[in-house]
Amino acid sequence: MENRWSSLKEKTAPYVLLSPFLFGFIVFFSYAFIRSLYFSFTDYDLFSIPNWVGITNYINLFKEHLFTRALRNSLTFAIIVTTLQTIFALLLAVVMNQKIRGIKYFRTAYYMPSVTSSIVITLIFMWMFQRKGVINYLLTLLHQYGLTIGVFLALLAGIQFLLVFKEKLRGRQVEYLEPSYIILSIILASIITYVFKDFGIIKPIEAKAVDIFWLNTREKVPFWAGPFAFPRPLGAIMILNIWTTVPTFMILYLAGLQGIPKALYEAAEVDGAKGWQKFWYITVPQLKHITFLVVTLGLIGTLQMFDQVKIIGNQAPLESTITLAYYVYQSAFPGASAPKVGMASAAAIILAVLTLTVVLIQKVFSGEGRGLRD
Amino acid sequence: MKIQQNYTNDINLKIKRRRWMNVGAIYLILLLFSVLFMGTFLFGAMSSLKDNPSKWPPTLKTEQLSLKNWIGVYILARQGGAGGFFGELKSGHEVSLQITYKYPTGVEIIPPEAIIPKRFKGAGRAALDLDKEFTADFVEIKLIEEISRTSVKNGTQVSYKISIVNSSQKDFDELPIDLVVPYKVKFKKATFSPNRIERLGMVQSWNNLVGGVIPYIFHNHFRVFNENYSRSTGKRLFTTWIYNSFFITIVKVITTLIFASMAGYALARLKFYGRNYLFVLILFSMMVPGQVTFISNYLVLRDGIFGFTKLFGGGSLLNTFTGLIISGLVGATAVFIMKQFFEGLPREMEESARIDGASTYQIFAKIMLPLAKPALGALTILTFQGVWNEFFWPLVVLTSPMDKFTLTIGLLSFKNTYASGAFDWGPILAGAIISALPIIILFIVFQRYFVEGISFSGIKG
Repeated sequence: MENRWSSLKEKTAPYVLLSPFLFGFIVFFSYAFIRSLYFSFTDYDLFSIPNWVGITNYINLFKEHLFTRALRNSLTFAIIVTTLQTIFALLLAVVMNQKIRGIKYFRTAYYMPSVTSSIVITLIFMWMFQRKGVINYLLTLLHQYGLTIGVFLALLAGIQFLLVFKEKLRGRQVEYLEPSYIILSIILASIITYVFKDFGIIKPIEAKAVDIFWLNTREKVPFWAGPFAFPRPLGAIMILNIWTTVPTFMILYLAGLQGIPKALYEAAEVDGAKGWQKFWYITVPQLKHITFLVVTLGLIGTLQMFDQVKIIGNQAPLESTITLAYYVYQSAFPGASAPKVGMASAAAIILAVLTLTVVLIQKVFSGEGRGLRD
Repeated sequence: MKIQQNYTNDINLKIKRRRWMNVGAIYLILLLFSVLFMGTFLFGAMSSLKDNPSKWPPTLKTEQLSLKNWIGVYILARQGGAGGFFGELKSGHEVSLQITYKYPTGVEIIPPEAIIPKRFKGAGRAALDLDKEFTADFVEIKLIEEISRTSVKNGTQVSYKISIVNSSQKDFDELPIDLVVPYKVKFKKATFSPNRIERLGMVQSWNNLVGGVIPYIFHNHFRVFNENYSRSTGKRLFTTWIYNSFFITIVKVITTLIFASMAGYALARLKFYGRNYLFVLILFSMMVPGQVTFISNYLVLRDGIFGFTKLFGGGSLLNTFTGLIISGLVGATAVFIMKQFFEGLPREMEESARIDGASTYQIFAKIMLPLAKPALGALTILTFQGVWNEFFWPLVVLTSPMDKFTLTIGLLSFKNTYASGAFDWGPILAGAIISALPIIILFIVFQRYFVEGISFSGIKG
């Protein structure tokens, strides 16, 4: 009896341990997923009994202007943000991968945007993106002092080139972006620019304050991109989203960078590889797995973008910011009119299929044989 | 020989100098990035102290952070009879404000006109404060006295002392004042800077002369707490939201830790039917957006989990914390992290325990869990951060009353509270900064775990 009991206990142990998780997983994921799939073929409206309508919802979706706009916004957003955040995260990680004192504090500081909630960040950004906000003010300054900054940068490049060229003439190996010379160049360029300014050779332009509508506009940017242009409010959300996600992905890249064997770089140096060659031929290929992970997580995250659209709300025209995720929410809880759960579910299924497809395509193209996060 | 020595020294010095310059260049780049990533927060935090964070042009100069103003506020609050940090205008006390104007040549020198205005605070509170007693009805402006007059270029600079006395039996916690001067007269300085200068410089307005230093600096932060009261209970909404967020977060962290390690261990080490399918499903679920499942989940909660709650006399789980918690007991990602961690542990201890006759439960509780401490640490932080910042699902589940909101949803409601007409960014920014504080403190203290958490969920396995 005792034996049988303990044997039963052993046999059921996996299920007992799994049960709390399985409860949630079955009720709030599996059942919900199947039910959504079912709803997407019905005309359900939360109150009456659902009627089967076949694929009508899917057909109607593509006839609806708001949905196609949402689809387009979501795709544009996902592609641009994922590309940029991956590049920036990699570059930032390479810069951060230094063994110098205090680097930890900098990592902490950089990671700050990633730990705070989307509502906090979005509110702060909305404040900065006002017509009379910080962003427009910085642009105004840039406009006013554009010439000064241009002269400074030109001087910087010129001095740097001269310094490096002088060393090269002496037959020494120097890179064009040699940091120690950059410091010297910055100091010299600043002094010369200051003198120019003092003598009135360059003056700040008397420009009007930049008055860009970042949120409350239907304008599309960039204006030359034609059919590929996207609404400017979406662009504002892109900036904010890249800013918050780069640090997270930077940490993934940092972990990857620390795993690259030093011997590879040493061998390359013996063969005379320069800085950027080492980066392009060793660092990038060695980080392939991380890049796959970063791009996958980035795509999943960006395709689901919802918070920012909801928080910005009526500060921007709905059409300019709407994404698939928001379209789903808005159709299910439209406020005044009747909920269109059928349409919402169909859009949600399309969003899910889209996510899976994009991840799969990504997997095929990157030649990553192994599964997600595997 | 000596020349050789000198030459080597020279080269050494050069290398050393170059290395230092390299380090300097890297620090410079790092600092620039810090401004980019931290600057936004710091500037937002500083601006949340300002009377008008949207003032053009935006500037780093904050009146609330000037020592001169602090001293002025302190002195006035002390005159009011209470402490300098938290002040009051007590019965029988007199406060005097000193103020200097410049009268241009040709403008008649007449003292400013002083008014104690009657102001309501915020929209939410006004409704509850109909029988508010205004300071203006009880205190009087005793005298406006000229104390000095000096000639300056193109005019005269005149200083006045304005004394206000509270001869009633009551104590007041605020004393606003407006000073009006003729057109073209320029405000120069005062005991502490006015909160607003309006009407082409003709009106200088102070919110509170006797508030004390702390309410002066954190004016907007106090507004966040003081101006939002619940319609049903009369409690401070913002405090309630903070409490709600902490409650939900702590409960969910605990359930996640327990259930994720149980499920993770089972998936990693125990053999049962359908294990691999389950794992694939978990991976799949991590890619499916929450928008796919939320309609059904909303209905499940509305119907009380298939009518199950009716057994306990409950009804709909919408707008309840129970509903919010039960639908998110443990996430797939948490289980995944724990599974990956348990798989990485050596099997020897477990096997020898099994030979000694320990049951699965004993092995899990006595051997595996203690070994999982680092993973549990990372998971705690990750979950805390995730739940604290959660936005979409609470938005769906918690709609009314406002007492039930979490901080994230509450902050969203601020957009309505403080945006009738123009945005009142002060309290919105202040609320945002306050609600970010716990997570930032947590992050600074446990930053190692944050970084580990990301690596756990991403790299391992």
